Amino acid sequence: MLSTFRSGSIPAMDRELVRNRSLLNQGIRNHFITRDYLEVETPVLSPTLIPETSIENFETQFRSDFHPHRTCYLIPSPEIHMKQLIARGSGNIFQLARCFRNSEQIGPLHNPEFTMLEWYTMEADYIDSIAETEELFGSLAQPHTPEHMLPPFRRMSMAQAFWDGVGIDLEKVQSFSQIRTAAEKLGLTPTAMRTTWEDEFNRIFLTFIEPGLPQDHPLVLTDYPHQIRTLAKRKAGTPYRERWELYGGGVELANCYSEETDSTEVAAFFAQEYASLIEQRTASGGVIPDIDDSYHTIFDAAFPRCSGVALGVDRLFMAIHAIKTIQGVILFPFSDRILYRTERYES
Amino acid sequence: MIKAGQIDKGMALLVKGQPFIVVDREFVNPGKGSAFVRVKMKSPTTGQVLRETIKTQESVEDIMVDDKDCQYLYNDGEMYHFMDTETFEQFEIPMKSFEDYQFLMKDGESYRVTMWESRPLNIVIPFKVVYEVAEAEDAVKGDTVNGASKIVVTETGLKVKVPIFIKQGEKILVNTETKEYLERVNN
Repeated sequence: MLSTFRSGSIPAMDRELVRNRSLLNQGIRNHFITRDYLEVETPVLSPTLIPETSIENFETQFRSDFHPHRTCYLIPSPEIHMKQLIARGSGNIFQLARCFRNSEQIGPLHNPEFTMLEWYTMEADYIDSIAETEELFGSLAQPHTPEHMLPPFRRMSMAQAFWDGVGIDLEKVQSFSQIRTAAEKLGLTPTAMRTTWEDEFNRIFLTFIEPGLPQDHPLVLTDYPHQIRTLAKRKAGTPYRERWELYGGGVELANCYSEETDSTEVAAFFAQEYASLIEQRTASGGVIPDIDDSYHTIFDAAFPRCSGVALGVDRLFMAIHAIKTIQGVILFPFSDRILYRTERYES
Repeated sequence: MIKAGQIDKGMALLVKGQPFIVVDREFVNPGKGSAFVRVKMKSPTTGQVLRETIKTQESVEDIMVDDKDCQYLYNDGEMYHFMDTETFEQFEIPMKSFEDYQFLMKDGESYRVTMWESRPLNIVIPFKVVYEVAEAEDAVKGDTVNGASKIVVTETGLKVKVPIFIKQGEKILVNTETKEYLERVNN
């Protein structure tokens, strides 16, 4: 008999869920407030964004009889405004921000609207942020939180992960042809599409390395290749950037950079990333957001050295309470309201 | 040809000229990277497992298949033996291609079999199936430490973790993907 059911649906009001979510938010605020961070609120609706080719955006219109109409975007991260506060001398800040990412497949780990905890620590680098994140995890843990979400964190460099996972020395596959050959030798089918160094790196990493990363404790994977263009600082004298990703139970939870504070580097990032974004989205028909050409000027001599962490709060909540899907931790998951029903055969 | 983003479980793809069945697919969006689909495929003839990570915009070759109702007869330890219920033709599928299905399929029961150029590619097991509990230990009184559950064995040999009140001879509904107990079924 063919029947239909809604996948991943939860009761409209789950008291336990509402309560635990509230406690988590309180716990996060307590953690930062007691450490002298200021909680800030920055716009969700923004006329410009930081260009990021990997994130598709939501676009909307400001319409008014009194002003010119203006296209705006829902922020994919609060970074653009939080860095402006830092430039104005805010000191250590944190935010629980609602963020929006378009075009991702709705699944156990993705909802187009989600909550991000983002915090910036002055006069700190990405290594300092590991200890801060460990303390945060320690203070948020519940009696039933699984072992793999508890400190101490394991630390591993990306180069080590490559060596352990596939026996490849990352420093010997720095050119596109080298990494492409390595991918083919590992058995990956050559693709018809034009790929980049980053694509080939990701194919190897996602197929052979990420699934085998140790999961007994949270894992901090450090020092990402410089070819992956981000606003993370270059690690001096190496082909890497000062960046880490945090995995809990095999799921990406957070991302951290020693923030790039050199205005020339930021300007170059904007120019290159925006050029790739325009090329890709012109082809795909995706949203091309406006950018602020003068954004790099906030990184003047007075801009402090700092480290920034962005952590997915819904995923953190899932992991702390051992809940398997993001739909299970969001009160009104997008999939339940908007998407098609799933059809399956039942006996 | 389809976009890799449309790849779904149970779909048949042609990779390097060989048919593969998608057994798992997961959307991955690595931090600051483009969207990929991580696909686990299995060759229905050799049981070989192939892992690929493909950009969602990439094209992949899907193949046109037919679904047929077939009766599962038995397995001989190496092959599953099936009969096409329309033509009464019998055919075999290597067990190593679908190892755990021996604990999910019931002798004599009909299943949909996916055929490609008259070769069987995939066996479709319903998402939820009722099984009879063939072996169950009596619950130990007072043992509620482990969430009050125990392991039972179904008539097909499948081991399932169930609440302690389930008894031998009772029927239970099982999720065949996760092999998890869903509910007790009353006769």
